[in-house]
Amino acid sequence: MTDSVVAQPVQPAVPAGTPGGRVSRREVTWRALKANPLLAVGGTLVLLIVLAAIFAPLIVPFPGDAGAATHPFSVLKAPSGAHLFGTDQVGRDILSRVLYGTRVSPVIAIIVLAIACLIGVPLGVAAGFLGGWVDEVIMRVTDVFLAFPPLLLALALAAVLPASLTSLTIAIAAVWWPWYVRLIRGQAASVAGRPYVEACRALGVSRLRIIFLHILPNSITPLLVQVSLDVGGVILTASALSFLGLGAQDPVPDWGLMIAEGQSYFTPDWWLVTFPGLAILVTAFAFNLLGDGLRDLLDPKRSLIS
Amino acid sequence: MKSKKAWAAAGAASLAVALAACGGSSYSSGSSNNGNGNGGATASKVFTYDTYTQVMIDGWDPATEYSNGIIAMSNMYETLTRYNPVTRTVDPLLATSWTHSSNGLTWTFQLRHNVYFHTGRLMTAKAAAAAIMRTKKLNGGASYIWGAVKSISTPSEYTMVFHLSEAAPLDLEASADYSAYIYDTQAAGPGGNLTKWLNAPHDAGTGPYTLQTWNNGQEFEVILKAFPKYWGGWKGQHYTKVVYRVVPQDTTAAQLLRSGQVNFVEQLSPTLWKSLQGVSGIKLASSPSWQNLLAQLNSQALSEPIRQAISYGTDYQGIIAALSGAASPSSGIVPAGLFGHFSDLPNYSYDPAKAAKLLNSAGYGPGKKPLNLTLTYLAGDSNEQVVATLMKSSLAKLNINLQVQPLAWATQWAKGKSTSPSARQDIFLEYWWPDYADPFSWFTNLLATEKQPYFNLSYYSNATLDSQINQVESLVATNRSAASALYKTMQDEILQQAPIVFLYNTDYQYAMTNNFSGFSVNPAYPNVIFAYNLTPKS
Amino acid sequence: MLTFVARRILLAIVVVVGVIVVTFLVAHVVPGDPAATWAGPHASAAQVARARQFLGLNRPLIVQIVSYLGGIAKGNWGVSVHTHRGVLSDIMTAAPATLELVLTALLIAVAVGIPLGLLSARRPGKPADQLVRTGSILGVSMPIFWMALILQLIFSQRLKLLPAAGEYSPGLLFTHPLVKRTGFPVLDSLLGGNMPMFGSTLVHLILPAIVVAAYPAGLIARMVRAQVLDTIGETHVLNVRALGFSERQVYGRFTMKQAWPPVAAALGLVFGYSLVNTFLVESIFDWPGLGSYAAASIATLDTPAILGVTLFVAIAYVVANLVVDIVQAAIDPRIRIR
Repeated sequence: MTDSVVAQPVQPAVPAGTPGGRVSRREVTWRALKANPLLAVGGTLVLLIVLAAIFAPLIVPFPGDAGAATHPFSVLKAPSGAHLFGTDQVGRDILSRVLYGTRVSPVIAIIVLAIACLIGVPLGVAAGFLGGWVDEVIMRVTDVFLAFPPLLLALALAAVLPASLTSLTIAIAAVWWPWYVRLIRGQAASVAGRPYVEACRALGVSRLRIIFLHILPNSITPLLVQVSLDVGGVILTASALSFLGLGAQDPVPDWGLMIAEGQSYFTPDWWLVTFPGLAILVTAFAFNLLGDGLRDLLDPKRSLIS
Repeated sequence: MKSKKAWAAAGAASLAVALAACGGSSYSSGSSNNGNGNGGATASKVFTYDTYTQVMIDGWDPATEYSNGIIAMSNMYETLTRYNPVTRTVDPLLATSWTHSSNGLTWTFQLRHNVYFHTGRLMTAKAAAAAIMRTKKLNGGASYIWGAVKSISTPSEYTMVFHLSEAAPLDLEASADYSAYIYDTQAAGPGGNLTKWLNAPHDAGTGPYTLQTWNNGQEFEVILKAFPKYWGGWKGQHYTKVVYRVVPQDTTAAQLLRSGQVNFVEQLSPTLWKSLQGVSGIKLASSPSWQNLLAQLNSQALSEPIRQAISYGTDYQGIIAALSGAASPSSGIVPAGLFGHFSDLPNYSYDPAKAAKLLNSAGYGPGKKPLNLTLTYLAGDSNEQVVATLMKSSLAKLNINLQVQPLAWATQWAKGKSTSPSARQDIFLEYWWPDYADPFSWFTNLLATEKQPYFNLSYYSNATLDSQINQVESLVATNRSAASALYKTMQDEILQQAPIVFLYNTDYQYAMTNNFSGFSVNPAYPNVIFAYNLTPKS
Repeated sequence: MLTFVARRILLAIVVVVGVIVVTFLVAHVVPGDPAATWAGPHASAAQVARARQFLGLNRPLIVQIVSYLGGIAKGNWGVSVHTHRGVLSDIMTAAPATLELVLTALLIAVAVGIPLGLLSARRPGKPADQLVRTGSILGVSMPIFWMALILQLIFSQRLKLLPAAGEYSPGLLFTHPLVKRTGFPVLDSLLGGNMPMFGSTLVHLILPAIVVAAYPAGLIARMVRAQVLDTIGETHVLNVRALGFSERQVYGRFTMKQAWPPVAAALGLVFGYSLVNTFLVESIFDWPGLGSYAAASIATLDTPAILGVTLFVAIAYVVANLVVDIVQAAIDPRIRIR
């Protein structure tokens, strides 16, 4: 899913030639944004996608086509003025369905990642903070799940559950949570080892306070970065499973499903496959750009020259 | 059983004809004759049939085969007679002539002399009789075609006399595409288990080709080679090998055809088929068939008004338009071109108003309770998928929520045959085609009462119809016009009670390379290519 | 070193056992009826019940798991419901084709990714860098099944440069038949001196391998870039520059060596990822590997086969990571002290 980058030596973010060597946080953020085209482009694209998802019913030419409506007398029409992306094998407007698709995969991604966090954060905190045998057990179980390449276990799960969006979401969530356990465990362990935390414990501060006041706040940034990097990955996995017939079922306007259905008409009626595929590519690309940009910006361990 | 669905489904059944010799175009059609070089030996002329799903899924026993396998088996095995779609009667094949008594209870067949099985044994009347009686005993596939046969006597080496318990059109039945093959019952030796021997696999037929290799579950699944001692001889140009290649994606199959790596594509989506028009080196063929697509309605779960409502609630014209060329309108249960077809039956047309009224009378329909139904169809069949989607859409307007489930054939059928009625589907999409050129197959398989569901997946039971089914075939042999009238009556009844929605008749859309001649469509043997009848061009 | 290796192997075994248990548990929730599929289309209710007994589907869960574990260890991976042959033998027949594809793809990914990553790192911020970065992000955002269809359209149908599908040209089946030795068509044809077949297998490998290589190539380029950029700023490299070594030597001898470990680790990761990615493209390229087998098993609800494939891939993944870890530890002693 995401590539991990080894921790980098810290470099101070002070622009050369600044008097006194201190600048406001806002200055730094603005300069970082300007120097970070990834974040700008990615953020804009993601914003557009989110807007498309929210306003789909208003902007789409044929909203009914994203549901059960069919038009058997205008099937497989090539892209034209009336149908910018053409029509599919039962006459539905592909542009409308592609736009409505922004409500499908990204939403699945959000739900999956929310579940992954809900499971991963508590387990990670427990493992990293409590240590000992709790840590061992949790990490071994996590290792077992991480031993499956992500798509594989999701595929096996989705294959045995009745094909639907719900099964798809469950299957992918079941595969994604271990990464978050690892991530949070690392954070928790590193915070737990710091001298001021030991001091707190010595003073009798309760563990819960330490978790909520110190560990969790420290984890938010890497969590945010990881989530934004993962959205693209989940979208690709979800569309792959729908392509295999294991997820969304007709008439849900899922991009992977649209490609699977459009395959049989492919080479002559290329528009059934091309546009949904472009949608997947652009969406995953946008979220990956955003994630990369956020990581560059927020992760203090990253060198700003990269 | 016929998994007509199994192979009629999906897009690309491509006949891949790999002509290793001339004809193959482009980079990778393999080496040509030059490669061989040993003087005098001509290169193999290979015919590759590209299909989209596994060929031999029912085993290798010609007595019980009821599925895709006939595309290969029809080249290894032969029947007594073969149906001729032009003359609409049967031609001699393994039998050279036949007569029957006036009451239709005795049929005498004269067999062809000097026909050898691939095992080396001579085909005599005794051997042929043994094959038919074994097929009847095993009671699999379409063995019901021999149902009227009480015994077979063999007064001379090449004469078979059938003694029937009731009149039946035996010459027609002997030409069936299933369960009519003549094979060597002694192939496994004395005391040997023939089924096991056949499934090894081996073939025990008399046909022009014999089994060379079987790569189970792989791409080049079945390879046949010419049988040198075939009774028809090998004069002139013939294919010496037939390869069955499994290509699941029809886009891929179309591309293989364009590059000449496959010679015949069995079925493509209509768009793909049309896109091949005018492409050099490719020939298209379109022809009506005896195959129709049916939606069997669960008559135990759905009452008659609901079934009639569904029949009125289906947009037949829309479906045919959407399938652009692959389908034509049907009338009743019997396709055009067959005895028993009538175009003036009380067929349903798309009438949502009537459908709504019928539903309302049952407490459903627009404004009342929603009706939740499940429909199963064959996964991978793009045409069935279009039909299912269109049905879902038109029924939604009648407040019917149709849940559509694509399933693999074995799974779909298992669900339909469930012993617990609640596990079964409400609508079962299925293709059907006859076992021999007669309407009987539809009625006896799909509509006769069954204690345990098999093919009657509307779970329909009608005592009157059952007794009509029992009478009609003997009428066919003795009084054709009475039989015709009876078939009309039966269809009227079925349309009235609506256990089945007759969606459309399939039109074959074949695509092939034009480097061979002799191809013709025979609807009695769906999607079968008799490779022996083809002449490769050089 | 030895303790490290022993510990890692032990850990790997524990993980594999866990993998087997999880896989079994996953497959236990089956909606269709594998007994009915096994019994076949002609079965009666009694035959289905007998099939259920034969397949052991009516024993308590724990017993089934333990018996399955024992069977796996002995090489008995169950019998496939749709081919009626041993799952392990089915997998062994199908695996070489997939492995051949994945290994070729990884080769391409490394050959393309590393130089691009290096190029990108040498001039950070410049157009070449931006291009490579964008390209690599595109690579990891690409829906692979879509890419396969598009490339097949462009290169096979429109440009007629490459074959559409299959492992080799079917005509060669009869004129230059392939003799199976290793199971890998490319190797077998080379070993047998069957040059026309060798050429054909290579040509047929190109398009599928490029498609599968997109993601790993993008990943590797990013990793190499990040690693090199980090190392370049470090003190010892500044020293080396100051000492007068050429740019080429600075990048080659002193930087790339640091870059290898994470890249090698990434290779283990992408090996598993790519193995599964091939599942998505095998049907498009008519490639007779694990992906096609898995697709057929999913369509027929063939639980033993689905289990078997999942297991096989997961175990291959564990082994690949184990090998990578051990090799890395052998090269870099710091890793052993974890």
